[in-house]
Amino acid sequence: MIPSGERFGRTPDGLDHVIGLVLCCAYIALLVHTADAIGMSRDEGMYVYAAERYARWLEQLWQAPSSALTRESIDAAFSVNHEHPPLMKLLFALGHIMQRKYAIFGDDSLSFRFGGMLSAGLLLWLIYGFGTRLYGRAAGLFAALAYALLPRPFYHAHLDAFDVPITCASTATLYAYYVSVERPRRAPLAGLCFGLALLTKHNSWLLPGLCGLHFAFCVMLELRSRRAMATRQISILPYGLLAMLLIGPALFYAGWPWLWHDTFARLRGYAEFHLHHAYYNMEYFGVNYFWPPFPSSYAWVMTLFTVPITTLVLGVAGVISACVSVLPALRSWLRSPGPGAYDPTQPTWLLLSALLAPLALISLPSTPIFGGTKHWFPAYPMLALFAGRAFAQLAANVFRSQRAGLSAQVALRCGLGAWLLAPSLVETIHSHPFGLSHYGVAAGGVPGAAQKGMNRQFWGFTTRSLVPYLREAMPNGGTLYICDTIFTAFEMLIRDGHLPRSFRVTGDIANADYALVHHEKHFAEIDHQIWTTYGNVQPAHVLLYDGVPIISVYKNPRR
Amino acid sequence: MRYLILGLLSIPLFELCAHAWIVRHVPAVSEYRAASDFIRAGLEPGDVITSAPAFTDPILRWQLGDRVPLAMAGRSDDARYERMWVLSIRGALPAGAPQGQPELQREFGRVRVLRYRLRQPARVLFDFVEAWERAEASIVRGGVPTRCPLRVGGTPRGGGLGKGVLLPVRRRFECDPRSPALFIAPVVLEGLDNEPRYCIWQHPQGEEPVSLSFRDVPLGDELRLYAGLYYEHERMREGAPIEVSVAIDGRERAHFTHRDGEGFQRWTVPTAGSEAATGEVTLSVRTSDSRGRSFCWAGETLRANAGGSP
Repeated sequence: MIPSGERFGRTPDGLDHVIGLVLCCAYIALLVHTADAIGMSRDEGMYVYAAERYARWLEQLWQAPSSALTRESIDAAFSVNHEHPPLMKLLFALGHIMQRKYAIFGDDSLSFRFGGMLSAGLLLWLIYGFGTRLYGRAAGLFAALAYALLPRPFYHAHLDAFDVPITCASTATLYAYYVSVERPRRAPLAGLCFGLALLTKHNSWLLPGLCGLHFAFCVMLELRSRRAMATRQISILPYGLLAMLLIGPALFYAGWPWLWHDTFARLRGYAEFHLHHAYYNMEYFGVNYFWPPFPSSYAWVMTLFTVPITTLVLGVAGVISACVSVLPALRSWLRSPGPGAYDPTQPTWLLLSALLAPLALISLPSTPIFGGTKHWFPAYPMLALFAGRAFAQLAANVFRSQRAGLSAQVALRCGLGAWLLAPSLVETIHSHPFGLSHYGVAAGGVPGAAQKGMNRQFWGFTTRSLVPYLREAMPNGGTLYICDTIFTAFEMLIRDGHLPRSFRVTGDIANADYALVHHEKHFAEIDHQIWTTYGNVQPAHVLLYDGVPIISVYKNPRR
Repeated sequence: MRYLILGLLSIPLFELCAHAWIVRHVPAVSEYRAASDFIRAGLEPGDVITSAPAFTDPILRWQLGDRVPLAMAGRSDDARYERMWVLSIRGALPAGAPQGQPELQREFGRVRVLRYRLRQPARVLFDFVEAWERAEASIVRGGVPTRCPLRVGGTPRGGGLGKGVLLPVRRRFECDPRSPALFIAPVVLEGLDNEPRYCIWQHPQGEEPVSLSFRDVPLGDELRLYAGLYYEHERMREGAPIEVSVAIDGRERAHFTHRDGEGFQRWTVPTAGSEAATGEVTLSVRTSDSRGRSFCWAGETLRANAGGSP
């Protein structure tokens, strides 16, 4: 039978959680295995610095709680990077403590990054569970894998940063809220997830609005339904929302020691930092955008250019299929409300608004676009869920005339899923370790995107890919001008053993033995500074990815 | 429905094939090297080397950078060149490539070498950037002109975004040791279009002029200038306009105003009717507010070729 209707899944059972756990662990193992090739990025370097301070505070809290809880101790630790809440940095700090005490990770980078990887694994479990609940096991599995094999999120899943963790926390909140619409007893879980989301990143501020609008719509339908039939399908009391609004902020306050003193001033500072965020450079179709207005098409075009086409098409097909299933049902129900005509929990609208809201927000001309795709990552699990829905329906259509047994049906569906995910797999493998430089077929690949004038990278993480060249060119070490790579990120290359201690960083191009330029449009200035200082324009080496220059390395002729 | 399903099922095939095609068509470094060796062997004085698409420029400089002087990498136009070599991939041509067929084409795997004959309507008589060190620099303070001496030495400090040109530049006319930006020397500057400009840095000090004079300049038919500011000083469109005066033999022949947002602009001064074949050309700059006024210019005089105009 072809699955139809707004929802055709079922509550995940024990086996589903086993499958979710396997997905989670396998993904973490994959991330751990591939992390070594990805250099630490600019933001990660800052969070490493913060995590080390937090780690000292955690140890102080363990050994001498009363002194750790004084304002001096709290401020000393949490004043660092106080523009972001602490949950993930505390996790990074825990990883760092475990590494120092027990050396359980392969290197220092991994100890900081493991918390982020954990959230990436949990996210797959969540997508699988949510997908199973909405559209069945096959859809859930396909959705989880479709998300796991998105090249850009795959890159970010390795990092000690907040973008994948907030995607996980947002998805968890939406899932828990959704369950609470049907089962109000689960409402505290929505509050807990929202609190964790608040403690992860400010993207979470959107969630009450999304859930509130969705619940208002559900209540409107419910009230009309009750008037017509006097039957109760869902509670019109917003338990989930109330839990979010009560437990969430309480957890946020309790979990962020920085807010325990000067609470309102610090809250205001936090909000103002993000409401009036600085603008950074981002190249888009050959123009370096550094100030509003930013192009409204950015998020949509970048999604088209970076998400594998098959996944994108399936996602859109899933959206269309879900909307097609909702609209006639709603129309007929509006004419004569009756039981079973529509789904009272309205998952399509929740998923659709959660898919579109981040993209719409980035499309505002005043919203900075410097983060590339990561700022709308919370939309991608929703896209994957819709893709999962389309897959389930496609599989049912393709195999409807088959009279095979259950195992053969499973095998056929696995084969179809593998075929539909093959491009994502190939592109994700190909994108590693240049995740931020990767563009898909829609952009003409990496060279096509470069020719169109799309941003090639940011955060200076690609210096890691230069290590073999640097070791060969500078066998005795020396001084290096590292352009966009932050000092703590470069230092991590040494701590992890990729480069010897004889490599030193200098901020003076003239005093460097070698100088790097990470190719972003606005970094052309560094090229020109080097040309004037060294008196020539010839790099000693150019790091290429699919034939596109990523880093130029200049040798100082005066040293 | 059957066609829809077939369509959906064929998308992965298209995507995989397209991906393979894209990756297969990426030129190998060895192909660039072979193409560069070919160009190197055929280079003559008066040749310019360029590449297309623009993202391949670092690869061109990697392979042929020893044959790309600062003046070529940061050129404002191709007026001084007779032939253009192009290192091309993906069928792209540079914006400055002439119309019509190249006089030579060779392929090295996925890299193509093209050579064009540039039919210049005029020939360059004098290049101001090339001759900068033979010029005389001066600054006026309280109505009194003072010569800016040539200084050699010093190590440029720093590097990074927002710094523009690193100071001090090793060879420079130093107009005020207390104000490091008040010097005159050729630099490579990032223009508003983020492109390199090899030009003479001549930062105004305020209402009184900072000047650079060139003696015995062959005037020809036209004096052509390109002038602009460092990217970050111009992009916010907040700076004061810069007044530029061009004098020949002490008489102002043209006056231009540079306003933020204009980028590097081309200005021309007709010189065809000049009584003398040569003259002293002085370029002076002033502004009402000198903050972030990293004025930089390049220029040349040209003589029209037969049947052409500069």
